[in-house]
Amino acid sequence: MKKSLDEKKKTARTAYFFISPFFILYAVFGLFPMLFSFYLAFFKWNGLSDMTFVGMENFNFIFSDPIFYEAIKNTFIIGLLGTAPQIIVGILLAFALNSTLIRFRNVFRTMIFLPYVTSIVAVAIIFGVIFSNQEAGFINYILSYFGIDSINWNIQNWPVKITISIMVFWRWVGYNTIIFLAGMQSIPNALYEAAKIDGATVWQQIRLITIPMLKPTITFVVFTATIGALQLFTEPLVFLGRNLRQEGITMVAYLWKDAFVFNAFGTASAAAIVLFFIIIIITGINILLTNRIDQTKKAR
Amino acid sequence: MSKSENHKTKTTIQKAVVYLFLTVGSLLSLFPFYWMFTMATRTNREINSFPPPFTPGADLVGNFQKVLDNMDFFGSMANSLFVSTSITVGVLFLCSLAGYSFAKLEFKGKKFLFSVILITMMIPPQLGLIPQYYIMTQLQWINTFQAVIVPGLINAFGIFWMRQYIQDAVPDELIEAAKIDGCSTFRIYWNIVAPTVLPAFATLGIIVFMQAWNDFLWPLTVLREPSMHTLQVALRTLNDARQMDYGMIMSGTFWATVPLIVIFLMFNKLFIQSLSEGAVKS
Amino acid sequence: MSKLFKVFLVGLLSVLLMTACGSDDTSTEDTSTDDSTTEDTSADTGDDKEAVTLTFWEFGNTGYDVLIEEYMEANSHVTIELQNMDMNDLHDNLFTSLSAGSGAPDVAMVEVNQLERYRDAEDRFHNLMDFGAADVEGNFLDWVWRTGENADGSFMFGLPTDIGPTVMYYRTDVFEEAGFDPSPEAVGELIQTWDDFERVAQEIYAETGKIMTDGAELVFNARRDQAPEHFFNTEDELIVEEHDHIRNAYDYTVSLIEQDLIGNIQLWTPEWFAGMDEGTYATLLGPAWMQGVIKDNAEAGVWSITTLPEGAGNWGGSYLTVPAESDYPEEAYAFIEWMTAPEQQLKSFLDYGLFPSAPAVYEDPEFLDYSDEFFGGIKTAQVFSEAAEAVIPVYKGKGYYTVNDALQEAISNVNAGADPDEQWNQALEQAESALARQ
Repeated sequence: MKKSLDEKKKTARTAYFFISPFFILYAVFGLFPMLFSFYLAFFKWNGLSDMTFVGMENFNFIFSDPIFYEAIKNTFIIGLLGTAPQIIVGILLAFALNSTLIRFRNVFRTMIFLPYVTSIVAVAIIFGVIFSNQEAGFINYILSYFGIDSINWNIQNWPVKITISIMVFWRWVGYNTIIFLAGMQSIPNALYEAAKIDGATVWQQIRLITIPMLKPTITFVVFTATIGALQLFTEPLVFLGRNLRQEGITMVAYLWKDAFVFNAFGTASAAAIVLFFIIIIITGINILLTNRIDQTKKAR
Repeated sequence: MSKSENHKTKTTIQKAVVYLFLTVGSLLSLFPFYWMFTMATRTNREINSFPPPFTPGADLVGNFQKVLDNMDFFGSMANSLFVSTSITVGVLFLCSLAGYSFAKLEFKGKKFLFSVILITMMIPPQLGLIPQYYIMTQLQWINTFQAVIVPGLINAFGIFWMRQYIQDAVPDELIEAAKIDGCSTFRIYWNIVAPTVLPAFATLGIIVFMQAWNDFLWPLTVLREPSMHTLQVALRTLNDARQMDYGMIMSGTFWATVPLIVIFLMFNKLFIQSLSEGAVKS
Repeated sequence: MSKLFKVFLVGLLSVLLMTACGSDDTSTEDTSTDDSTTEDTSADTGDDKEAVTLTFWEFGNTGYDVLIEEYMEANSHVTIELQNMDMNDLHDNLFTSLSAGSGAPDVAMVEVNQLERYRDAEDRFHNLMDFGAADVEGNFLDWVWRTGENADGSFMFGLPTDIGPTVMYYRTDVFEEAGFDPSPEAVGELIQTWDDFERVAQEIYAETGKIMTDGAELVFNARRDQAPEHFFNTEDELIVEEHDHIRNAYDYTVSLIEQDLIGNIQLWTPEWFAGMDEGTYATLLGPAWMQGVIKDNAEAGVWSITTLPEGAGNWGGSYLTVPAESDYPEEAYAFIEWMTAPEQQLKSFLDYGLFPSAPAVYEDPEFLDYSDEFFGGIKTAQVFSEAAEAVIPVYKGKGYYTVNDALQEAISNVNAGADPDEQWNQALEQAESALARQ
């Protein structure tokens, strides 16, 4: 009995040791920037001036700014249009790439992963050309066949949101596919074989084997993709430029613009705090939901 | 007989659908990459025409020659390789250890500490630039590789990923058996956990390596001396103030991406190898 | 294996401990962590001056490396380390360094627009007046000099290098097709005022169906730059609505948009470059350095140059500053004074096309004779120097680009069909909200 207690202590000590690098490194390099941002939210600072304490004024600024609400709205819309479909398509792609029926799997895998490594500069140029405002622009030209007038893709409200969503989807779907693919490796092939013998269709295989067995990976992807969507920044920046028009500005883009375009670090920090709480609430709901689904499944 | 034939045509149709799906997906994924290559083979003037050219031109060598004239391409590639490899090896090791601890070891405050790790992911990192830079100046790490490598080892995403994977992929019975055999916790990690989760290593390795390779904002801030530049930082010096030579820039960008594809294929091989090994074991 | 592991962890921990101690040390003892290191090379300098190394950040394709070689040969105790960066990266890095108080170079090239970002931060730069900058004031155009000063002229941020006086580039073939004499003299005669510009635009549109110019942005800029007051007074109060100049520029631009006389082709897009080649638009209201862009993208002989109606403006150009961190401000100042002297500016112009801010250069025979076959053999340098001398000095203020960006966004919205008055009000509201946060 005593021995096992000692062993427990020993295991715990080893575990603390194993996880300590993260906490030590974070304490040195992550904690100070975080606390600094929190502190700044109550000050007025342009990066070069002296800091002046302003109390809650920065929060008043952002809560009375219509663009801040636009930014929240945009983040959710682009998240739903650009990120949510990735999860479904990612699973399907991973399933196809994992299937033993398919030849040239490595070729397909490499190609699907390419958007993740393609330079963002190239992506920006290409999306700019495809979604050009000109009548001769790629998409506008196609639309003209259907009698649709030219669209200003980087000015008009919905076109801006849709274009950014497409860009997000395109850049990240391959990435999530690769993660799902890894998750699928721990599903024994024998399960599929057995299902096939029982005459299960592909759809049934996905629904009854892949998805339940993939639960930890799905939780992981939903969690990280949600945070990724709520912190979306690069795509709006490269598509809209530093001016980040209100039609496509996201929450992180909003605080970035405040900080590095307007040199208003105080309001940027205030916005960062609000964003942080929004992320916590959304991921909290997320975890509750995934647990719920998990439990109902188990109950069944 | 007819039933099996029916089954056969059904699988053929299924196969066709899957191939179609993959082909369309692959082509859409490939297109901008292909275009990047096209631009790397064209003169600036050709690239700037509207609509732009869709086929490769004749300036592949000429553009790359310009890149070599304007930056130390291979020197900065060596720097990039060093930085990205260090970060990847470090992250794989530290995250799998931590992930293993959170997945399989019992200790007080486990849930709480894990939540702390997850919460660090929720803080938007963009505002940290100036304070982080300040820390680096205090450590006198400006113009050193550790300024990029050491913060790069903080990877909450990797810990979470490893925990999720290890939790399900490594059977508890296996660990118990090893414990009874008298293996230390680290031995169990090294001899049992690590080999079982090679697909997770391969995936995390790819992702971390790509991120480290393509990162430029932070390296740009702390690596100022040309001899310390990573590829992405050095590539930016190809930008002129107003007159961009896109042929040259895309050539540099394209050739800076090619090593990534090689790395991807290497990890992919590890991925596939790990599968066949795993199959033998089970 | 476990031994190896222990070694690794001990190593990791000791690195962490060292860094923890290191941070204590540096914060108490050594606060200057300038990355320019003094190399002790006094033995081989020949004279008795202390050897110094200056770091110099520059952007673009300036050819300064050649000038630096020359300078170092003449001043053997000075070593200059040139670090070339992307324009935005340089300013971002400079901002970060100045903000954190460490890591700025001895000499930083700052673009004229970006200078406004540092208006408030006089304490982060050496005042060049302390090193005798007033003595060289006469070397430079008045408006260029005044942009480098603070509001009351007591503080000098940097010495000017090149400038970007704006002119009207135009397509001779389009003007000819519309029935006009396309020679620079005739076009200059034809378009003397902005009303002329509008009238000619209407005629060109009627005759050829072509738009007068690429988009609204540069039209607004041109009219704005000719206004004696812009967005702020020298007290940094927003005065856009206290005079008519900016509103007039806005209304003029809007009226051209509403008559479909200008396009909505955005700068730097493929269709903009292609339009330069195909003659999609008849004029381009651009600065001197735009010559290079046009040459890169169009055939010789179709573009020519004349002055803008009613004056000129400026787009681009830089200043050489000495951040306060520099330990060798005197050496740095001596270097930038030499770099910006007329002789060096002439070289930069002849070899790299950087347009000089020193009017003495404009008298130089080599400069006066400088002509360009690409633009029909006209004496281009003279056209630009005329423009440079026509620019009027105006106070911009630290919030300049916040306001300007808001107005430009409003104009592009109008170009896409929005209501001009609504957009004007919204732009000013947004600008005010942003300014209040800074």
